[in-house]
Amino acid sequence: MRREVAIISYAQTPYEADANASREMQVLKVAREALQAAGLKQEDRYTVVTANNDYLDGRTISNMRLVEPAGAWMKNESKAEMDGAYAALYGLWRILSGDHDVALIIGESQASVYARWLPGIMMFDPTFDRQRWLLNEASAAALQARAYMNAFGISGEQVAGVAAKNLDNASLNPLAHNKLAGADAAKVLGSRMLYDPLTEMMMAPYCDGACAMVIAAGELAEKAERPVWIRGVGFAHDSYLTERTLKEMNSLRLAAEKAYAMAGISDPSSQVDLAEVHENFAHEELMAYEALGFCGKGEGGAFFDSGVTRRDGKLPVNVSGGATGANVVCATGLARIIEAAMQIRGDAEGRQVAGVKTAVATGQTGPCAQESVVFVLGGE
Amino acid sequence: MAHIDVAVTGVGYSKHVSKRRDVNIAELVWEAVSNCYEDAGLKPKDIDAVVTGNMPAFEGVNMPELWGAGHWGAYHKPLIRITTGGTTGGSVAHAAYYAVASGLYDTVLAIAFEKQSDGNSTMGLNTVALADAAAQFQQGVDPGFLASFGGGAVGIAVYQAASYMKRSGCTTHHLDKVSALCRNNAALNPWSHLKQPGLTPEDVAKTVLMQYPIRFGHVCPATDGACAMILTTHEKALKLQNKPAYILSCASCSDEAALMGISGSGTTNMDPCAQEHCKLAAKWAYELAGIKDPRREIDVAEPYAPFAHQMLMFYERLLLCEEGEAPAILDSGSMNLDGELPVCPSGGVISTNAIGASAMERITEVALQIMGKAGERQVKKEVHKGVAHGWGGAVNLNVVAVLSDTPRRS
Amino acid sequence: MGPGIEVGQVPRAALPINPAFQWSVGNWMDHFYDGLKEGKLLASKCPGCARVYLPPRMICERCFTKCEEWVELPETGTVESYTVAHVKVGANGEFEELPQPEVIALVKQDGADTCVAARLQGGSASVGMKVKVVIDPEAESFVNMLAGYRPAE
Repeated sequence: MRREVAIISYAQTPYEADANASREMQVLKVAREALQAAGLKQEDRYTVVTANNDYLDGRTISNMRLVEPAGAWMKNESKAEMDGAYAALYGLWRILSGDHDVALIIGESQASVYARWLPGIMMFDPTFDRQRWLLNEASAAALQARAYMNAFGISGEQVAGVAAKNLDNASLNPLAHNKLAGADAAKVLGSRMLYDPLTEMMMAPYCDGACAMVIAAGELAEKAERPVWIRGVGFAHDSYLTERTLKEMNSLRLAAEKAYAMAGISDPSSQVDLAEVHENFAHEELMAYEALGFCGKGEGGAFFDSGVTRRDGKLPVNVSGGATGANVVCATGLARIIEAAMQIRGDAEGRQVAGVKTAVATGQTGPCAQESVVFVLGGE
Repeated sequence: MAHIDVAVTGVGYSKHVSKRRDVNIAELVWEAVSNCYEDAGLKPKDIDAVVTGNMPAFEGVNMPELWGAGHWGAYHKPLIRITTGGTTGGSVAHAAYYAVASGLYDTVLAIAFEKQSDGNSTMGLNTVALADAAAQFQQGVDPGFLASFGGGAVGIAVYQAASYMKRSGCTTHHLDKVSALCRNNAALNPWSHLKQPGLTPEDVAKTVLMQYPIRFGHVCPATDGACAMILTTHEKALKLQNKPAYILSCASCSDEAALMGISGSGTTNMDPCAQEHCKLAAKWAYELAGIKDPRREIDVAEPYAPFAHQMLMFYERLLLCEEGEAPAILDSGSMNLDGELPVCPSGGVISTNAIGASAMERITEVALQIMGKAGERQVKKEVHKGVAHGWGGAVNLNVVAVLSDTPRRS
Repeated sequence: MGPGIEVGQVPRAALPINPAFQWSVGNWMDHFYDGLKEGKLLASKCPGCARVYLPPRMICERCFTKCEEWVELPETGTVESYTVAHVKVGANGEFEELPQPEVIALVKQDGADTCVAARLQGGSASVGMKVKVVIDPEAESFVNMLAGYRPAE
């Protein structure tokens, strides 16, 4: 990268099923806290990139109503209609161009306001699948889970184990909303069956919330206390659901290859200390282990069983609870970046992992991670 | 730090008409993308990243690239979706500019489109107003009363037009002249939607009065269309083009959301024609581009004007003259194709409005003018620099790009 | 919330938005539906890489070539994956319990390179299972003329 860009501050709302605050209030809270923590005032020069979605916000041009609460009044502002990690990516480009030095990144949505599974159905081919009403994000994920499990002999217990690990991890995260200390695979498997093989507890339930992050280059980054540097980024798009293999997470693999090359990572399983993965459904985390090169193709289940990705393991994944703990569409991936940065900075309190120097965070958009983005972060 | 110069090296349009029943959204966009690759002499394998956007509420499809991008050469490529309402096309192009200027991607495909016939755009636009209703509901205003303002964008524009006319001395005859100028230009533009060669201001004055001061002839059509452009580095562009156009700078500026002059929070009265943020965006873009006196240095302007008064209003807000001077400049003939500072030589948004694409089409049209590839609509004067603008949101978002025949090199 | 900001119960207004959409399916899908009316499965084929798309696509995503060839596919196919759906998404966007679980399968038609998501009759399924297409030219909506699949044996 032509400039060194650092994460210098962040803020998150508590994630809740039905927040007692409007989205504007939630955005105002995180934008204000992140700016204050970065030592910035509204009148300072910075650019703003938000991530939100017209269908989730129930209004055309969702970003235009967020101008004031997002601190974007009379600012150079734009919006990525994807996961918040893409907003971070766009903010990074703006800074790397040299035209900007500081960017405020915000992701938000409120699941209590939109009709939960409908915006997902609206993503499918309107000339065929959409109108047949069989595919939605959950049924598509179940098709992927089966294809993956069948191809590589992954068991339901292994998938359930991931959900149990993340629910248990979330119990240490005061901001998470979906948590269960001591959760186990049997409990997850015994929860309500929705789309076999996926049960209710294997899904990351949509909820309300917002998060914000300030990234900067130059003076502000150099003066910042404990900056977290962005070492590599990559992103990729995969084919439409019925036109690609569902056994692998190609978008994440392609994105990770780019990000690793940029960050000089050749052996991720030994060079990465911690990962925050955006998993909308438990099996996706196993697939992500493979796509991120933590283990070989088809080895996700065994890799999980080895305990490496538990919070006391050698490469903890989703210590925050991941998306299972809190899934705010358009914020979840950005929250992964923030959680990874918190671990590097040593800000993660009760869930702090010792000695995190290099961390990976991912975000995704579209059914079954059709589009993925990867950030590699590093400390001093 | 050295600036990476960003060049436009290919431009493509689909057909722009009211209803394209023969193609679906993905196929319509393919036309523009395919034309763009051909224009650039490139293939999908040469593209490092794709930026796309439209206004999803209009087609009723959430993130249409998820099923459509296979038609655009985006297979396994990095792809990002940028949407900001009426400014979407501009925001997409700006993101593509930053992608190249970041040094991370050399060659970037930018795609913007709208297929309005698939949905109900007035309903889509009404949700802009309804969002206001939702905000003001909290202030105790009856949502039914607020919803009745409706009328899509026209309802918004009449307030702005009346205010602008009061401030500038612009008359309804000026509005008629703007429409005539644009629609005659559009007749020279092969991809434009409403072509009305020989249209006179008197003809426009005879069209139906929708809501004072806006007549039917002062309003853009609803268009199905797509636009694509390929941006690349200075070095790569020189291998592909004799005379590339450079995007010198991009800037956007966002004000408080305010529809009928009332801000979204219900606390502020704003003049919808003030557009202070447009002036700020223009100022930032000119500064980055090294332009000190836009009035002398800009050779062609493509303001985003779906309504007649906006061509004059944004000419002023883009700092191309003092406030209130635009109507007289229009009268002088300076804005004509053979004038001193031609405005909307493409025919403008008032002639063609595939909403998500419109703000990018302002940029591609300025690029074509600089490259000398604008065909019959090429302006008479030599073009070195031009300004391209986009407007949208609840009257509160503006994007400005400055283009040139020489790179920034700073 | 921050200092000075007290939030009471946030009021909610349901806003009456019921836009109508009428998507053009395009000539390729139109041809596909015309075929179904006659009981045929028509797929488009890329002249460059010979990839066969069902449902048909106008452009091959891998070659960026127009798929101007058409092939009629046999009625048989293979289950690539499936899920037993215990719920469906209701009009309000929430899950509704189905009276009877149903199988949704991803089927790769013999001769095709892409999959169709459809209902599989017969109550049980396995990956790799051979199935036959069920076409209903009289379906209430043309998008459901490809009604689903049934076990081949």
